[in-house]
Amino acid sequence: MDTANPMFASAFAWTRRLSFLILCCVFSAPAGAVGTAVGTVIENTAVVEYDLAGTPLSIQSNTTTLAVAERINVTVTLQSPQTPVAPGDTSRALLFTVTNTGNGTETFQLAIDSLIAGDDFDPDPAIPAIYFDTDGSGDFNSGDQPYTPGSNDPDLLADESINVFLVNDIPTGLANGLTGRSELTATSATGIGTPGTVFAGQGDGGVNAVIGSTGGEAEDTGEYLVSDVQVSVVKSQLVNDPFGGNEPVPGATLTYSIVVTVNSPGVAVASTVRDAIPTFTSYVPNSITLDSVAISDLVDTDEGEFDTSGVPSVVVRLGDLTQAAGARTIEFQVVID
Amino acid sequence: MKVFMSVILIAFASVATAQGHLDVRTTVHKQEVFVNEAGESETRLVAAEVVVPGESVIYTITFRNVSGEPADNVVITNPIAEDLMYVDGSAFGPGMEILFSVDGGVTFATAGELTVVEDEEVREARAGDFTHVRWVMQNDLPVGAQGTARFAAILE
Repeated sequence: MDTANPMFASAFAWTRRLSFLILCCVFSAPAGAVGTAVGTVIENTAVVEYDLAGTPLSIQSNTTTLAVAERINVTVTLQSPQTPVAPGDTSRALLFTVTNTGNGTETFQLAIDSLIAGDDFDPDPAIPAIYFDTDGSGDFNSGDQPYTPGSNDPDLLADESINVFLVNDIPTGLANGLTGRSELTATSATGIGTPGTVFAGQGDGGVNAVIGSTGGEAEDTGEYLVSDVQVSVVKSQLVNDPFGGNEPVPGATLTYSIVVTVNSPGVAVASTVRDAIPTFTSYVPNSITLDSVAISDLVDTDEGEFDTSGVPSVVVRLGDLTQAAGARTIEFQVVID
Repeated sequence: MKVFMSVILIAFASVATAQGHLDVRTTVHKQEVFVNEAGESETRLVAAEVVVPGESVIYTITFRNVSGEPADNVVITNPIAEDLMYVDGSAFGPGMEILFSVDGGVTFATAGELTVVEDEEVREARAGDFTHVRWVMQNDLPVGAQGTARFAAILE
């Protein structure tokens, strides 16, 4: 947009608003979520309107120009919750997201550190130890490409992210409840320094690059929890026939009881019980309870449902279980056909 | 075509006259922290040519009446570039009323009088909504006199 048009501005000085509307247009690139794009030029021109001997007049100032330099910023964010592992496990992954929070394109180098103070054991980095979540699944698998420093350092556009796994082996002989940490660091290839440090001419398109608030690097730490948990599941049944007895005859109601207990230290994470309805029986609608509290048959926000999408089954999500929290009891009923 | 030509001619005439009345300059600075000889941290204004997101800049508009007559109804208007956000309370101008626009410069009012519609609800305008700053001189600008208007903005 051409802002320099004093002829128009003055010719129409009597329509002050119009003159100044023409002048107010300045060039700017669209601002992204992480700040004004590198290379954007910000111009500024003031307009002064005045009367002289009763004649309205207008004049514009010179135009100042500001160039937007590249700000280097990066964040690393752990995505995995505390990850339960067993002693001797191999290739256990922690997921992180590396985000370019600067305003230009930047290359980042990645590094793993599993010798972190403050934990109970040191995970043993696999070889290689850093992978990209190439298939975008969020789970570490054979489709994910390893990171080779200096060879496939991620190039990220402003506001772009990439998901990265740190992969460690877990030493043997560890007791339940011990934790081990592993840290991912992403470092700007342009450089690091205190915020405000200038790398002359090293930004996008040859503008200056300036270190932002994160100092040009960022890190986050994930944690493994040794959790070799032993869980017992005991199922029992109670028969009530239509005649007041306990015979398993057609029309008799079977009340199943499933008791889930953790018998060791550690946490059984995101535990779910799925139990198929026996053949030649029919599920009694709305008969599921968890610790004597009713759970609806519908797929909704409560802990379970009667799932008819495949083999008709009762599904109850128990969440994280520990020995200290005690047993959980699921009950439901069927009728013999 | 004739009409167009005459507009151009008038334009040239107006420019020549107008530029003879007021001398208007705009400068842009940023604040720099430095350590003085006594070892204390101080700030000073340095000319700004390059900025990074999150950095503040200060625009200063100076105007001098270089004509032979006093100028009255002097109004200075400065747009706030799209990538800049006005710093709340930063506009300054001795002897001037300060107004803002939230509609691209169509209407102006004091900061407290402006509202914007967001999510179909009317709310008081905030610094980030302002599109223009305007300074309205309360008195004439005498011959030879100079005025200053200033505001700060932060690069988004």
